[in-house]
Amino acid sequence: MRTLTTDVLVIGGGATGAGVLRDLALRGIRCALVEKGDLTHGTTGRYHGLLHSGGRYVVKDPQSAEECARENEILRRIMPHCIEDTGGLFVVTPADDESYADRFVAACRRTGVWVEEIAVSAALRREPLLNPRISRAFAVRDGAADSFLATHANTDDARRYGAQVLTYHVVNGLERVGDRIIGAVCEDLRSGEMVRIHCAAIINATGAWAGKIAALAGLQVSVVAGKGTMVAMNHRIVNTVINRCKMPDDGDIIVPIHTVAVLGTTDIYVPDPDVYSITPEEIRLILDEGEHLIPGVRRMRALRAWAGVRPLYREEDATHDRDIPRTYRLLDHEVRDGVAGMVSIVGGKWTTYRLMAEETVDVVAHRLGVTTPCRTAELRIEASAQPAAPLRPAISHGSAARARFAILASPFYMLGHRLAEVEADDSYGDLVCECELVTREQLEAAIESEGTANLDDLRRDTRLGMGPCQGGFCTYRAAAIWHERRSARYGQAAGAAPATRLLTHFLQERWKGLTPTLWGDQLRQARLDELIYLETLAVDRLPEAIPDETIVTGHAAIATEAG
Amino acid sequence: MHEAIVIGAGLSGLMGALALAEAGLRPLVLAKGHGATHWASGTIDLWGKDERSPRDALRSIVTARPEHPYALIGVDAVADALARFRAVTEAARYPYVGGMDHSVLLPTAAGALRPVALLPITMAAGDVRAGGEMVIAGFHELRDFYPPLAAANLAAQGIAARGVYLQLPPVPRVRDFGPRTLAQLFDDPAFRKQIGRQLRQQRGSATRIGLPAVLGVRDPLGVVADLQLLSGAQVFEIPTLPPSVPGIRLFNVLRAAIERSGGRLQIGSEVIRAEGVGHILTTLCSEAAAREQQHRVRRVLLATGGIAGGGIRTNDAGLVRETALDLPVRMDVNHAGWFAPRFLDPGGHAIYAAGVAADDRLRPLGVDGWPVYENVAVAGATLAGADTLRERSRTGVAIATGWAAGRMLAAYGCDATRSY
Ligand SMILES: Cc1cc2nc3c(=O)[nH]c(=O)nc-3n(C[C@H](O)[C@H](O)[C@H](O)COP(=O)(O)OP(=O)(O)OC[C@H]3O[C@@H](n4cnc5c(N)ncnc54)[C@H](O)[C@@H]3O)c2cc1C
Ligand SMILES: Cc1cc2nc3c(=O)[nH]c(=O)nc-3n(C[C@H](O)[C@H](O)[C@H](O)COP(=O)(O)OP(=O)(O)OC[C@H]3O[C@@H](n4cnc5c(N)ncnc54)[C@H](O)[C@@H]3O)c2cc1C
Repeated sequence: MRTLTTDVLVIGGGATGAGVLRDLALRGIRCALVEKGDLTHGTTGRYHGLLHSGGRYVVKDPQSAEECARENEILRRIMPHCIEDTGGLFVVTPADDESYADRFVAACRRTGVWVEEIAVSAALRREPLLNPRISRAFAVRDGAADSFLATHANTDDARRYGAQVLTYHVVNGLERVGDRIIGAVCEDLRSGEMVRIHCAAIINATGAWAGKIAALAGLQVSVVAGKGTMVAMNHRIVNTVINRCKMPDDGDIIVPIHTVAVLGTTDIYVPDPDVYSITPEEIRLILDEGEHLIPGVRRMRALRAWAGVRPLYREEDATHDRDIPRTYRLLDHEVRDGVAGMVSIVGGKWTTYRLMAEETVDVVAHRLGVTTPCRTAELRIEASAQPAAPLRPAISHGSAARARFAILASPFYMLGHRLAEVEADDSYGDLVCECELVTREQLEAAIESEGTANLDDLRRDTRLGMGPCQGGFCTYRAAAIWHERRSARYGQAAGAAPATRLLTHFLQERWKGLTPTLWGDQLRQARLDELIYLETLAVDRLPEAIPDETIVTGHAAIATEAG
Repeated sequence: MHEAIVIGAGLSGLMGALALAEAGLRPLVLAKGHGATHWASGTIDLWGKDERSPRDALRSIVTARPEHPYALIGVDAVADALARFRAVTEAARYPYVGGMDHSVLLPTAAGALRPVALLPITMAAGDVRAGGEMVIAGFHELRDFYPPLAAANLAAQGIAARGVYLQLPPVPRVRDFGPRTLAQLFDDPAFRKQIGRQLRQQRGSATRIGLPAVLGVRDPLGVVADLQLLSGAQVFEIPTLPPSVPGIRLFNVLRAAIERSGGRLQIGSEVIRAEGVGHILTTLCSEAAAREQQHRVRRVLLATGGIAGGGIRTNDAGLVRETALDLPVRMDVNHAGWFAPRFLDPGGHAIYAAGVAADDRLRPLGVDGWPVYENVAVAGATLAGADTLRERSRTGVAIATGWAAGRMLAAYGCDATRSY
């Protein structure tokens, strides 16, 4: 058992936890963050990718709308390299109630959400695949945001101010003495070692898992988990975020992000955030709804599907989960339950993570007697601004690779930026993943960085395997390069088994995301991949090729998806 | 009027076209694109699901699984196809070795051992059962082949192997070293001399050296001979990620043999429709560069290659369709049962067994169990009845049914009692 001491322990490495960590660090508070998987392993890594303008919530939840509108501007300022200014449109399709549009505009005015009606012809010029039968169109300040990049940008910045980040550390217990929580007990999932962390305060930022953490201290926090499924199309069928102009419902948004466009979402209650799967009905519903916005979308090529769980805090009993206000809740357990030493922050949206962090840290700082004000809205996250000066080696999770992208790709690393780089360096031959233009150098930097446990982590770092071929070529290459780098560092003794496990794990991870949308061309592609791995490479006959999806990080605690 | 049209230019279509050409029917091969030859490893795999010899496995399939493509044509027809295949490759001075009596275990680029029945002679020294320490050598510039990983996995299976990287001799104006580019470089004797010298230095006590399967397009046997002479060890090829140089060589060999016998290949034409009179298919419609063409035809071989080849297509509503002639597709499970939860499931994924059912003359069957067309035969991965990937019998089924279908079609019309 190892013991660590800090002032504030943040549990959860999603957008909220990372934002809280940066806020604490900027105020000079000693802090550490623990995350049971890789950063963004929870909902943050499985969200839709929309930097909300607020438009979606103006009628139904004006407070959320106001918060989104304000935070939208702040995030654009403090982390421009994580955001693509796609702009957004709300369009009235023939299937929508025409009267909503006027209410929508009036509500935008009331809540301070910027909106401007544009001619239908202008909307169609901007997005030629859009349904030509739309009757009205409104421009808003939606954007696309890379949550992987943004979360790492927050933790990297926090580290610069002395914060500590422990990934693959799962909190199994909270230490409570009388009416005070004084620390947490974690397991390091990679070494199996137990780690005790003493602290003056804990911030529970575990999203849909917040109830489970609270329960470790004997407290009750009801978080309703609402599963949302999304479908990625294999190219940017639109370059603007497209919303249906109506009350928020299933499948009414398309977000262009990186090389793909994402349709979503659904909202289905799940009893346990760790156990859910994607049903064919959901996929059908998303594509059917998508037809209203982009006629013919069903015949286009869907790449993969995934789902995340919304952490929705339930005050009393609410029956319908879209009726629970989206606004986040900060629970001060000292006031609420008479137990000091912990606060929980639940609900909200990616777009409002910074605001949630600010409010949370205000309360905790006050308890600790720290009066330094919040500065996260003013200070730009500097990860992208320091080209040559590398971050401390091996401090951060994939930070070298990320810093490099951030620099090269500022303000946003769209495919075009990488292509320009590859063309400038003449490095076609170095591409490990042709679909997403990941070079060997980028991959090696990501492998070398501390804490990378498997190819799926590398995927989050580099987008490896996320393009149309879904890992057909790069899985073998990445596993082999991993093997070479690790043998260079640790010698040959480790053998090839870890690389084999990595390879089969990654293939399995991709398969899970693929099966819900596998038909037509994408099925053909999947078959090609299968032929490569089972015929040409015969990986199923490798000594360690146990077809088990949870081997690398083989811990039930971090297997978030079923089937 | 065409005597015979073959739809598809994969191994099954090519073998079928060869049979039709040798029967003097001057077949036209219409294909949307190249077949899996350009991707696959270039070996002929008859059976690899268990340790039985291909001959034993095939014999038992014939009795136990009457709908299996092997069972439709019988073991003798398979042997006949293999014999013809070997003769053709031999005549082209790119001989295949092996047969039905046992499988050879060849190392893959990941270091796994793959059971193979017929293999190009350039791969023969890789047979792991032959014994002898191996060096696996490659190039940093080639991102489709990694010697250290392959060697480490071989070592883990008790096969003495060591991975090394060679220095690529300086070559002007080349930046992207795919398998094809490297193969062209190996066609140059000066290039392979430099490689051969390095192999000698790196060889150590090894008696054989595995290289990525890029040892020339034109004269691979010459390349292997040169490298063996220079290195003092046996040299063999290991298939890389696609594109496949051995597959391209095989395609070239078969294409040349077909053309010599009067056949013709037209790649870039997709067959989209057929017309017939009663049980006789009379016309094929193809599309090339957006122009539709009609082909009056007496015999048709459908060899469009299943889901991977594009001959079978699915949609989001769970429909499964045969793309060229719109024949009925046999598919035993519904949409929800298409996939096993595990990618590497030993049982495979049910959707890939979908295909066109056929009788013992490989004629496509309708839902009523009778042939849809008398003058059409089906071959290769378009046939229903097996997921040949998990059996490791894909190329075996392709060449055997392709050849058998071509022979039977050639006989069609000569047998008066059969024709309408
Ligand atoms: C389908 C869907 C689409 C969405 N789309 C958008 C959108 O487009 N725009 C937007 O603004 N918002 C969107 N949201 C909302 C947004 O994604 C979430 O509000 C936000 O990501 C929540 O972040 P978080 O950090 O609070 O939670 P999470 O990202 O879930 O982080 C919690 C972390 O805690 C970790 N954890 C849990 N238990 C333990 C433990 N015992 N020990 C250690 N760590 C633990 C988890 O692994 C997880 O990483 C969407 C949500 C869903 C579900
Ligand atoms: C990466 C890879 C590795 C492989 N490795 C091995 C291996 O190691 N061992 C093994 O046994 N097998 C292997 N295979 C499988 C094997 O090579 C083929 O799948 C098998 O030979 C089937 O051949 P086929 O002739 O039936 O179909 P294919 O080779 O798929 O050919 C189909 C042909 O039909 C054409 N076509 C399809 N639809 C139409 C249409 N409507 N009109 C006109 N033309 C059409 C296509 O363009 C193509 O020319 C591999 C395959 C791949 C892709």
